[in-house]
Amino acid sequence: MMSVPFVLFACAIGAAWLRQRSVSIGFWLVGVVAMLVLFRVHVSEVLSIQL
Amino acid sequence: MSPELSKLLNALGLIAIGAVLTMAFIDQVWFGELPCPLCILQRAGLIAAGCGLMLNVVFGPKPSHYGITIIGAVASGAISMRQVLQHIVPGTGFYGPPVWGMHLYTWAFLFAVAIVIGSGLMLLADRQFSQMQSVSGRLKGIPLIALLLFLVLALANIFSTVALCGTGLCPDEPVDYELFHMND
Repeated sequence: MMSVPFVLFACAIGAAWLRQRSVSIGFWLVGVVAMLVLFRVHVSEVLSIQL
Repeated sequence: MSPELSKLLNALGLIAIGAVLTMAFIDQVWFGELPCPLCILQRAGLIAAGCGLMLNVVFGPKPSHYGITIIGAVASGAISMRQVLQHIVPGTGFYGPPVWGMHLYTWAFLFAVAIVIGSGLMLLADRQFSQMQSVSGRLKGIPLIALLLFLVLALANIFSTVALCGTGLCPDEPVDYELFHMND
């Protein structure tokens, strides 16, 4: 599951290689959303920075 | 700044991101420092930022491509900062050994800031956006090398992440590659 953003970004690179700009940006956007969702899933505890 | 010079600078920026990702791989493979989940997401963030530079290289410079780079770098920087804050209080430990005095997540945060500043500086040069049609030709030389390096590193990260985490989420502190121990 953690590899999903990389797969989507690789698809974005592939689409750019094939000169499909809109498709590339679409893959990038979904990749960023996937990355942020995974970030949220992995960071569940409250940050404790009290001295 | 001419579109050709902008394209070259973007290609060099892409190579710089590739160099950072390559160093992360060297740390992982050569020194056996397995990346934590946040470290993997920081790599993803750098690739997200690199996508904007890649679009500039392939399609010519556009403000929207720099926007993509900045968004990717901010996401990567936010993830890095979360990890910095996780260990900022004395006695809360750290992840991985320091490299040149700072941990890799601190370096990743500084690199993300540098990408944002670099993109901001590039956006100041208006002339690069005036002749966009002239630079959408066939890739060769440094831009081609940069694009190939970027593609290879994105694919390598897919393989590395699947090997490390299998098909699920990554353990907080990985000790071995999950893929090679699925039947244990």
